[in-house]
Amino acid sequence: MNYILSKDEMQHLFSRISRRYEVYGAVERDGEVVFERVNDFGIVSQKKSRYAPKEFLIERGENVLATVPQERKAVFGIKSCDLKGFYIMDKQILGKDPFYTARRENTLFVNYVCNEPCNGGFCTTFGGPVLSDFQIQVLKDQEGYHVMVSKEFDHYFRDFRRDESRAFEEITEKFMREMKPLPVEGIESRMKWDSKLWKEFSSKCISCGACNYSCPTCYCFDIYDEGEERKREWDSCILSGFTRTSAGNVRPDLSDRLRQRFYHKFSYYKKAKGEYLCTGCNRCVDDCPVNIDIKEVITHDYLNE
Amino acid sequence: MSVVTVCPYCGTGCQIVIEGSKGQRVSGYSLSPVNHGKLCVKGYSGLTYNFSDDRLRYPLIRSNGEFRRVSWEEALDYASKRLLEIIRKYGADAVAFQSSAKCTNEENYLMQKMARLVGTNNIDHCARSCHSPTVAGLVSTLGAGAATGSIESLGDSKTFFIIGSNTTEQHPIIGAKIIEERDRGKNLIVADPRRTKLADIASIYIQFRPGTDVALLNSMMFVIVNEGLQDSKFIEERTKGFPALSREVEKYDPVLMEAVTGAPSDLVIKAARIIAEERPAAILYAMGITQHIHGTENVQSISNLALLTGNIGKRGSGIFPLRGQNNVQGSSDMGALSEWYPGYVRVEENDVERIEKLWGRKLPRKRGLALSEMFEAAADGKLKAIYLMGENPLVTEASVADVERGLDNLELFIVQDIFMTLTAGKAHVVFPASTSLEKEGTFTNTERRIQKVNKVFDPPGEAKPDWWILKEMGMRICGMRNYSSPEEIFNEIRTVVKNYSGATYQNIYPIGKQWPINENAPEGTEILHATAFPIGRAEFKVIQYRSPAESVDEYFDLIMTTGRNYYHWHSGTMSRRTDILERESPEPYIEINIKDAQRLGIRNGQRVTVKSRHGSMSIKASLTDSIPEGVVFAPFHFEEARVNKLVGNELDPVAKIPEFKVVPVRLIP
Amino acid sequence: MTTSMNEYIPRFLNVKRKVQETGDTYTIVLDETSKAEPGQFFMLSVPGAGEAPISVASGTGRELEFTIRSVGKVTSAIRERDRIGVRGPYGNAWPYDKYENVLAIAGGIGIPPVRSLIERMIDKGRGEQLEVLYGARTPEDIVYYSLIDSWSSNIRMRLTVDRGNTTWKGNVGFVTSLIGKSESPRNSAVFIIGPPLMMKNAVAEALKSGFREDRIFLSLERRMECGIGVCGHCNIGHYYVCESGPIFPYSSVKQEPELFL
Repeated sequence: MNYILSKDEMQHLFSRISRRYEVYGAVERDGEVVFERVNDFGIVSQKKSRYAPKEFLIERGENVLATVPQERKAVFGIKSCDLKGFYIMDKQILGKDPFYTARRENTLFVNYVCNEPCNGGFCTTFGGPVLSDFQIQVLKDQEGYHVMVSKEFDHYFRDFRRDESRAFEEITEKFMREMKPLPVEGIESRMKWDSKLWKEFSSKCISCGACNYSCPTCYCFDIYDEGEERKREWDSCILSGFTRTSAGNVRPDLSDRLRQRFYHKFSYYKKAKGEYLCTGCNRCVDDCPVNIDIKEVITHDYLNE
Repeated sequence: MSVVTVCPYCGTGCQIVIEGSKGQRVSGYSLSPVNHGKLCVKGYSGLTYNFSDDRLRYPLIRSNGEFRRVSWEEALDYASKRLLEIIRKYGADAVAFQSSAKCTNEENYLMQKMARLVGTNNIDHCARSCHSPTVAGLVSTLGAGAATGSIESLGDSKTFFIIGSNTTEQHPIIGAKIIEERDRGKNLIVADPRRTKLADIASIYIQFRPGTDVALLNSMMFVIVNEGLQDSKFIEERTKGFPALSREVEKYDPVLMEAVTGAPSDLVIKAARIIAEERPAAILYAMGITQHIHGTENVQSISNLALLTGNIGKRGSGIFPLRGQNNVQGSSDMGALSEWYPGYVRVEENDVERIEKLWGRKLPRKRGLALSEMFEAAADGKLKAIYLMGENPLVTEASVADVERGLDNLELFIVQDIFMTLTAGKAHVVFPASTSLEKEGTFTNTERRIQKVNKVFDPPGEAKPDWWILKEMGMRICGMRNYSSPEEIFNEIRTVVKNYSGATYQNIYPIGKQWPINENAPEGTEILHATAFPIGRAEFKVIQYRSPAESVDEYFDLIMTTGRNYYHWHSGTMSRRTDILERESPEPYIEINIKDAQRLGIRNGQRVTVKSRHGSMSIKASLTDSIPEGVVFAPFHFEEARVNKLVGNELDPVAKIPEFKVVPVRLIP
Repeated sequence: MTTSMNEYIPRFLNVKRKVQETGDTYTIVLDETSKAEPGQFFMLSVPGAGEAPISVASGTGRELEFTIRSVGKVTSAIRERDRIGVRGPYGNAWPYDKYENVLAIAGGIGIPPVRSLIERMIDKGRGEQLEVLYGARTPEDIVYYSLIDSWSSNIRMRLTVDRGNTTWKGNVGFVTSLIGKSESPRNSAVFIIGPPLMMKNAVAEALKSGFREDRIFLSLERRMECGIGVCGHCNIGHYYVCESGPIFPYSSVKQEPELFL
């Protein structure tokens, strides 16, 4: 169901939600857009947050032997590309990891659709910026706040006006014009195991792990014991310890591991779950110290190397 | 709550944004001119040591061989009482203070002030083992011992000459900048015995023998002078001593020097031409240049090369000593060194009078013991007490056996640290300290940028910030003022260190500023020596090549060069308590060339004994072709295989730095 | 899945017996009846040390047993304990009940899940339909030596070592060299487990000897941390070994470049 709300009405909605949920929002702090507890709708920023807030689902440093937390949280201002990543991750881990599952079921994500394509982003390649899976999806323009609501949360909108406009369609059209989707179709068959792209990347990569850290679809984690606790830590498949066992390492070279990352994103996940493990958010490119660009994996001419 | 602060690992000084009660989210601060939002793996995954169960929580006093928990009052009173007793009985020079390059400027300032108010210049720290030659060398040639440009200014360089630095592993974000610039077509010349990641993408890679840096650099200058490629205008207007230099380098024909350095002469010639002609050229160096008994001369040779080619003072050119620790630039600026008062005033100079006026006391004028000399003095009974903060010399210093003997002979050993390190285990009194993420203060990074450090977490148990502990001790032993905050200390620093005078806690946040910052340069100074050198004209120094302290012979037939790797940090007290980093590099190893291994019958992963003239250790071999034949490499991060046991105690006569980079060894399978 | 259940929390079982098998290999017998089918694995843990994935060594319905090689922190710690944390069984089993005859080829430390298969098939009265080829590196590395005689009276079994010693009187040679001489019907299911190179050679030999490619099954090993398909470490291609394996039909994975690494 689509609604159109004024700013005051959004504040009203915010208050209703705050009664049931602990509310967080994207706010500007010292020039960065970060997620914090908020009690006022007005301070939630429209800007793209510094990071994809996957800590709302997979928490670093948490003790997996502890009781699974059941707090209800709402997150305002998450971007579509980040939220879409969570839906994609769901296919692998929802229902299996108890912490992820509990948080996913208890968190309300209110995503803000971007008004402009961001620098470097390519979300249109993966169906963005308007999501087809969402809980409460918001698009702000001069007319007010256009809100697309899923059935589960429709009851919050009882007294608001229906939206007959084409705001969401129009923003999609605008994005398709200004951010031409990349030719990702069939990439899983085009990619080549022996491509020199992997060696090219590995000659620059400094193994910082920023790409995994910043990615809204990277879910891999390490488990280690500390005292009585068994803790979870975000892991990076480009680190050599990721696959090391006492028997050896199936990916001894950095180029093997970079290839694994891109194969996971564009081949393995597609084969296993029917969807690419990427949302076009460009965060991995933004945070990479040597500008390795994942878009190159899609556009590279593997045939005529 | 998100907090912007500075990464506690290396001298790059990346600004980080930390969120969550346990630091669940760490990002690079995107507005920082240092790292532009990027971090290395230590920044992202390396901060969890803060929450280790091993953290020291309570003050401890050792009695009957056991540590027992005591109150702060008891620990401080006991330590100060014993110190005063020793000073009364043996004199102020019988005590020494070891400061920490990981602690803030405020803390380093307090510790050196404490030493000097007590009446001794026996204050020193680990900068001695890393860039003391930089300070000594560049102060003598240029008048200032610090990087001459900013990290951002490297974007304007046309050529990079990187010697003795494995930049992508030790200063990853700076290394990444070099990679990016190389991608944009800039020239990259790398000189290193090991084939590093940057060597693999360099335009010219010169693999040369450890310890032959002067010969290599002089042979480059030979080419430049011979072919008339020097910047005559710059030399004439801004330097002195060129004729003597040009006469010296005449003797260093690269074709003849190849036998000494192992560097192919055609590459040396090409490289020299590029540095002279494709300007601005920036020279970056680190331990490969400094950790030699000719470290100071190596640095002066680098200075010679930069001055010869006019590669100083213009944006994109310059000399970049890559400082190791997060605040080793700051701790040096604060004078936590036995021959320097704050602001690089030599202890013997008349300028000390100004500081005497500010501190209201007559101050010691004789050079004190360097870190490398303290342990011998302790072993000889000349030094009776050491008050040490945030250092682990039993792992990091050369000639570890001597360090151990020295510490065992002390009447009083006070250690202030965050973990019970190997060194702290020998203490009589242990003070539990906060980490960098648990206190306020400032760090100065390798580009002289003074940055604000902000508190993110509360310290565990009764651990306290180092500045508080130092202040409490200072009040008890030398009438130090009862400083109420780090800002108060910083405001005093501004009056003593002229280069810091214009900096305030407000104007260095959220983006820090590079010193000198004063009324003439209220926004700080990006490029040093643009119009003038602090000493007027820069000086060329005549440097002759001399061989390293020890040479190989029939028995000790391999050269071991020690160093670091990407995942761990120095003695590993922080990084080895971090899950991901420890997993990446879980055990000690020694890198050996594949051919050498075959010759000795050593398999990959095989345990070998490594012997030097000073000690031995048992360690696993790691075969590689990125190290030349005749050279082996071992990182010093691992307590269980302390490579510094094998390093001798001969020192650079000026800077007093040991020769960590050239250790003749024998490998026994 | 009810969110109050936490799959990461292990149950703790007492160690009833410990047996030293070879130099660094030992067996523990736990106080539980195994509900696992041969080929499946459990996550065994020691608080403070961590968890390790270990294949079940005993047959279904028997006492839960594991044979472990001390190679790291966890596997060394398990040996010292009287109580072990246990999660599982996880993964899939050898498809022994889908085929009339089974030829199992085990190299080195791959023998425990084959022992589990042996016990299961014997318990189901199908010993005659099983042939086992077991190759150890040296005679000192042979695990379950005392059980081999009793097995041999129920199943067809051949033992070999890569390198003999002064007293060894049995076969010397790689286990793959025994495949051609196998008398198992060529439409048997072929179960292979061992070091990657051994598995690669065994597959080649099996095909050469006329066994059917669509009846070859491999037990793969990768670094595992969760055992439940969420930590991402154990993938081969688009499969997670903990979820879709550890037993894979050769035909499903033969195109994977990382297969025999």
